[in-house]
Amino acid sequence: MKEFKIAQPKSLDQVTSLLSQKNTDYALMAGGTDLLDEIKNKIIAPEVVIDLKSVPDLSTIKMDKTHVSIDAMTCVADLAENPIIRENFPVLVEAALSLASPQLRNVGTVGGNLCQRPRCWYYRDPDTICRKKGGSRCFALRGRNRYHAIFGGGMCYIVHPSDLAPALISLDAEITINGLEGKKNILRLEDFFTLPQNNVRKENVLEARQVLSEIRIPLPKNGSKSTYYKFKERGTWDFAVVSAAISGVISGGVFRDIKIVCGGLAPIPWRLKKAEDFIKGKNLTEEVIKQGAKEALTDARPLEENTYKMGLVEAVLYTAISSMI
Amino acid sequence: MEKKDSRYAMEDSNLWYETYASDQTQHSSEALSSDSDKKFKLIGKHIKRIDGKKIVTGKAPFTQDIKLKGMLIGKILRSPHAKAEVLSIKLDVAKSLSGVKAAILMIRGNIQYAGQMVAAVAAVDEKTADKALELIKVEYKPMPFVVIEEKAREEGSPQVHDKRPNVEQRRGYSRGDVEAGFGKADVVIERTYKTAVEIHQTAETHVSIAKWQGERLTIWDSTQAIHSVRDQLAEVLQIPASRIKVIKQYMGGGFGSKLGLNEQTVAASMLAKETNRPVKVMLTRKANSLCVGNRPSTFQTYKGGVKKDGTITALSLLSHTSGGIRGGDRSSEPMIDVHKCENAKVEDYNIYMNTGPSKPTRAPGLVQGTFGLEGFIEELANEIGMDPLEFRKKNYTTKNRGGTGIPYSSKGLDKAYEIGAKQIGWHKRNKVPGEGKGRIRRGIGMAAGIWWGAGSPGTLADVKLHPDGSVEAVCGTQDIGCGTRTHMAIVTAETLGLEPKDITVKLGNSDYPWAPLSGGSLTTPSVAPALRDAALKAAEHLKGMAASKLKVSASSIVCENFTFQEKGNPKNATPFKEVLGDLSHEIVFHGERKGLPEGYAYNTFGAHFAEVEVDTMTGMIKVIKVVAVHDSGRIINKLTAESQVIGGITQGLSTALFEQRIMDNETGRMVNPNLRDYKIATSMDIPEIVPLFVDSVDPRINILGTKGLGEPPRIPASAVIANSVYNAIGIHIREIPMTPDKVLQALKEKEVAR
Ligand SMILES: Cc1cc2nc3c(=O)[nH]c(=O)nc-3n(C[C@H](O)[C@H](O)[C@H](O)COP(=O)(O)OP(=O)(O)OC[C@H]3O[C@@H](n4cnc5c(N)ncnc54)[C@H](O)[C@@H]3O)c2cc1C
Repeated sequence: MKEFKIAQPKSLDQVTSLLSQKNTDYALMAGGTDLLDEIKNKIIAPEVVIDLKSVPDLSTIKMDKTHVSIDAMTCVADLAENPIIRENFPVLVEAALSLASPQLRNVGTVGGNLCQRPRCWYYRDPDTICRKKGGSRCFALRGRNRYHAIFGGGMCYIVHPSDLAPALISLDAEITINGLEGKKNILRLEDFFTLPQNNVRKENVLEARQVLSEIRIPLPKNGSKSTYYKFKERGTWDFAVVSAAISGVISGGVFRDIKIVCGGLAPIPWRLKKAEDFIKGKNLTEEVIKQGAKEALTDARPLEENTYKMGLVEAVLYTAISSMI
Repeated sequence: MEKKDSRYAMEDSNLWYETYASDQTQHSSEALSSDSDKKFKLIGKHIKRIDGKKIVTGKAPFTQDIKLKGMLIGKILRSPHAKAEVLSIKLDVAKSLSGVKAAILMIRGNIQYAGQMVAAVAAVDEKTADKALELIKVEYKPMPFVVIEEKAREEGSPQVHDKRPNVEQRRGYSRGDVEAGFGKADVVIERTYKTAVEIHQTAETHVSIAKWQGERLTIWDSTQAIHSVRDQLAEVLQIPASRIKVIKQYMGGGFGSKLGLNEQTVAASMLAKETNRPVKVMLTRKANSLCVGNRPSTFQTYKGGVKKDGTITALSLLSHTSGGIRGGDRSSEPMIDVHKCENAKVEDYNIYMNTGPSKPTRAPGLVQGTFGLEGFIEELANEIGMDPLEFRKKNYTTKNRGGTGIPYSSKGLDKAYEIGAKQIGWHKRNKVPGEGKGRIRRGIGMAAGIWWGAGSPGTLADVKLHPDGSVEAVCGTQDIGCGTRTHMAIVTAETLGLEPKDITVKLGNSDYPWAPLSGGSLTTPSVAPALRDAALKAAEHLKGMAASKLKVSASSIVCENFTFQEKGNPKNATPFKEVLGDLSHEIVFHGERKGLPEGYAYNTFGAHFAEVEVDTMTGMIKVIKVVAVHDSGRIINKLTAESQVIGGITQGLSTALFEQRIMDNETGRMVNPNLRDYKIATSMDIPEIVPLFVDSVDPRINILGTKGLGEPPRIPASAVIANSVYNAIGIHIREIPMTPDKVLQALKEKEVAR
């Protein structure tokens, strides 16, 4: 592990002004549960680590007339226990409680969860220089790929590790990014994540000198329902093999509006638009739900060892949706 | 194997068990007087660990906690290549870094697997040692390698060892005439079962501290075998064993990976010699996954013939096994022994590949073999439409070698069947496997297990009495977490009429009287009888002293309730302390675990029963309940015995459902050398576990009639889950771990076949 300096800014402005110093290799640290692992395993070697925990008042959850806003440094456990969140966004609570372990949820933050790096075992092997680390190829493509992507691969076959991201995208969340000189940029979380073909080194559009400060979710419409179902291999402390966040408006046993966003399937949280289109307006029988999944799966390109994820997409959609009716 | 340097030994990882655990009859002596009729006050009860509080409050010093004055931190540089020639190694730059005290070479010859040690450094702290490793420049010339079993078996694959083929025949076995046996059968089937490589995931990674004082070397080691570490290290360092002392007080798990000398102990010793300062070398979780051993993979093809009435006419096994650069495991033992069968044949092959060397892993070979055999037994029973429990009862035998050998000294497997079946509710199972309906299917299954576990004749232990009334129990065994300290206190206290807390237990030091390594379920049946022997001698002596005080003959005196008292007249008593007060100086009584009478087979047995749920949509297996019934002779401490069983089942469940080393064919490296990607069971995966014991006392095995329990609960624990899944969905998943992808695939194939 390379030694690094730690910076402890006292405001977001100080963070951005630290970031504006050129020629220094920075890393932002929230809970540090992922970042420190990357440093210790020699995947990255920043010169300066900016400790966001030293910035006060970055972990509040508030509600106004139209939105609920969540500060980036809110820890996952607090998110799951917050009454506003529990009342309005079951999908988010379920996603939060499904991830990692109680210890990690106490330390890991919402911002860190959205910005965490992939757990692809080739990426995490310090002796393997894959495309994501500046190398010339993806080792998963012809290697060991039981946990890798069946959608959106190509250059790189990681799956996005976050459970909160699919849930938040299904809720139409927006995020605020603070850049240099106090510049703020608001974008849809769905547009935050980006595929390897756009930039294989990154999973999102965050620039090197930017920080994610806040997440905003529109208050649910009447008749809104949401749920998160995560299929993992063991009882706890496991990333999603396949998960689905489903939010929508149900009336008369039919989805008038539906958003399906999956984890474990692609380099970014993956929306199953074809499934949404198929399921919307139909009676929610097992057949309809599974056919919806099948429609979406026509675009899947599984690798040698992960075809089983196709079957799991059907199972996960069916389980999630049938729990909503 | 005991005497050889384990790093270079080529033997099977489980070979020593066979010499150690099964051939002890050669030490045989006169028949032993057994305590089988004794009523005990402590032995067999639930007794809390005497060191329990110390452990759970973090006060027990584990090897990793030990810090010596002036101690340096040693680190090991490892090869990223699976096979390579080392062209050059430059240590100078690392050596010249301030704070670095030594940098030495640890490699001879070529690199044989990724993770193999190349060099070692010692520095004033961890950070400096880490930096030093980065400054060592190694020039490798990568060579062709093979890390996948199927590929190693292919014609023309890169050869792993210069003088051995990648597929090498091992010792086989044969009795009767299998072909004739198949000829007599009504049904003959053949099935192949596979088991993945399992890593010893000890909570405490391997660690050693070495300190030289002139010619004398002291080692603090996280080990299961203080005496073996001493003897093997003496050989490697070419110094007399008498100058080495090995100490181990508390340990966070070994499971076989700490059974003898490990490389970090050698590195620590060499670095300490070079720097003339104590050196600690502790392995990382990653190194722990690569270099300290593993449970070999197996590919077992069984062929079996059976008559309609359930008689097994012949069994054969073709086995391939890989322990990486070292030999694999012999998985044929269950087939050779457990069920009645006149004709049996085994053909066995090692597959060599460029992965870390195997080491015994809790019940080496038997875990894999039981998964194969007991799965096959269920399938055979199903072929003839017989209940698998009835089928096993029908083929029950009280002699070893499938009924063709010598009688077992004791075998309580029949009782285990009875108790277990009742507890699980055997009648609730699907009469036809997979006959249930709906998304979630339930099933009940069982599996039987056999192990050795007689203990080591020649084990020594002392009881020391002090004039102030205090008592020591001393033995050069080690407590690897199973509760050895407590059982030593129990046996001594029981014999002298005291309480466990009154006994000062001393163990974990190779200067103490010899005891075997703690593996192979040897410890309790070795140490407890030796200590009982010593304590009986002490009691005898003290009764003689008490006789004059009580004015009765020594033979009519008993030790009870901290007193020596006249049998049948507890009022005529004198306190234990007072009798010891008459000693003019401390006195020591030597005890020994005597030999085993010839003509009998000494084995432990167990039967597991489980209930599972399978989600046919996701392929997820959920274990609901496991009932384990064991025959381990007399149980010394019920509480720790139950813990042992719960631990074995937890591990067995974990390998049945989750654990597998995953190798990358292209880089030659393990892709999951961490606890995120190498999945072990979590608390959320553990079902209700009911540990039970067949209350039997072996009549001749030793003076306490006790057998081992280290391995037994691990043995049927994976097989029973596979068999329960079979009962639930009607498909036998013949490969562990039974991950959801495999279950889904099997369900799909069944769907297609319909
Ligand atoms: C063993 C294990 C299992 C886990 N399982 C799951 C799981 O099942 N599901 C799941 O969703 N997660 C899982 N996680 C992730 C965990 O939930 C944490 O949320 C996550 O690691 C990041 O949280 P953190 O606050 O510690 O981030 P950090 O480690 O501090 O940061 C992570 C990354 O995000 C960047 N970053 C952090 N905050 C910001 C910000 N505000 N703006 C810009 N960049 C930022 C950092 O620079 C870094 O690159 C697991 C983690 C571990 C270690």
